[in-house]
Amino acid sequence: MSKTKIRIDYSKCGENGKVDPRDCRKCLEVCDPCVFLMHEALGYKEEDPYNPQHWRITPVWPSVCTRCFYCVKACPEKAIKISW
Amino acid sequence: MCDWCLKHGNGKKWYMNAKNYSNELAKDLDLEDYLTEQWMNFETVFIRKIMGISSKGLGYKLKMPIIGRVLRWLAERMIHSESKNRNPMRADGHFGQVLPLEDAQIILSELAAEPIMENYCMCRWMQKGKKEACCINFGVLSGVIEKLPRFIPKDRVVMLDREQAMERLEEHNKKGYIASVWFQPVPYICAICSCETPECGGLRLRNDFNLKAVYKAEYIIQLDHDKCEGCKACVSMCQFSAIRFIPSINRVMIDYDKCFGCGVCRHACKFDALHLIPREEYPGFDGKY
Repeated sequence: MSKTKIRIDYSKCGENGKVDPRDCRKCLEVCDPCVFLMHEALGYKEEDPYNPQHWRITPVWPSVCTRCFYCVKACPEKAIKISW
Repeated sequence: MCDWCLKHGNGKKWYMNAKNYSNELAKDLDLEDYLTEQWMNFETVFIRKIMGISSKGLGYKLKMPIIGRVLRWLAERMIHSESKNRNPMRADGHFGQVLPLEDAQIILSELAAEPIMENYCMCRWMQKGKKEACCINFGVLSGVIEKLPRFIPKDRVVMLDREQAMERLEEHNKKGYIASVWFQPVPYICAICSCETPECGGLRLRNDFNLKAVYKAEYIIQLDHDKCEGCKACVSMCQFSAIRFIPSINRVMIDYDKCFGCGVCRHACKFDALHLIPREEYPGFDGKY
């Protein structure tokens, strides 16, 4: 089986987007195998680790993705792309 | 008895040794700063680097021919690290074991250091986007988490006495969550979680990547074939898909390799057919944690 590649466009979601991942988090809720991780972006520690602009969602475990595409459908910003 | 019991168990199971819960130990290891640093950065633990290699897409990386084996060795060493220069941001030395409700209640009633508190499960928040108060922390860690507002439920009492903690744990266990006890970091014990696959970070590493972040319990389930009526209620309780219903014999079958010995399936059984026995008593499963 080929590798699943999940890409999130961070200009739409996360630090440069208008949506705070912590408020939206729709992709996390629909993902049965829990591929995504919501975390504060690295490298901001000196400023303010809890600034909403510094949160992002990373697809950390693409190997357990079942390719159900629910996250792609659920994303209001159309920021998720899956390929393999 | 695993290696950790021999090292830190003082002749008993590691989590039954009162010394591992003591405030003196926490002081010796200077854990207040360590745990503060760890819990301030808890959500980023899975994107930290293992020896310069990002753990993003770890499942694929572990399958690579040589790099995979090196990476596995490094990750195991990191998870079970006892060295002086442990990195709190990667949660070095943070691993645990599944345990049945009875053992967990002994810990909460006798061994756990005060204060005891219940806070939001971080794994469920960062991987599933749900806030659910089901992690019971005690000792130094309670003092650390108290200062971090995002872990604290606002609508309920978070400080529990021993009785309440036992009740809460029983509630979670009967719901189907697995009780697990955690070194954080080894040898200090300060948390009993109510985990669920797939979002629990430890169970993710264990089940999907076979990294020993969580050990199987000291027990294993045993099925009484004569008492099982084939109601299938236990099948829905098993987090590890170790129980399977076989229509032709009209009862369930247990995959002992997959059984973690959490004992959650017993809560569903109306016919008293499921019992936990010590792992070493089941032929061939002694030492298979």
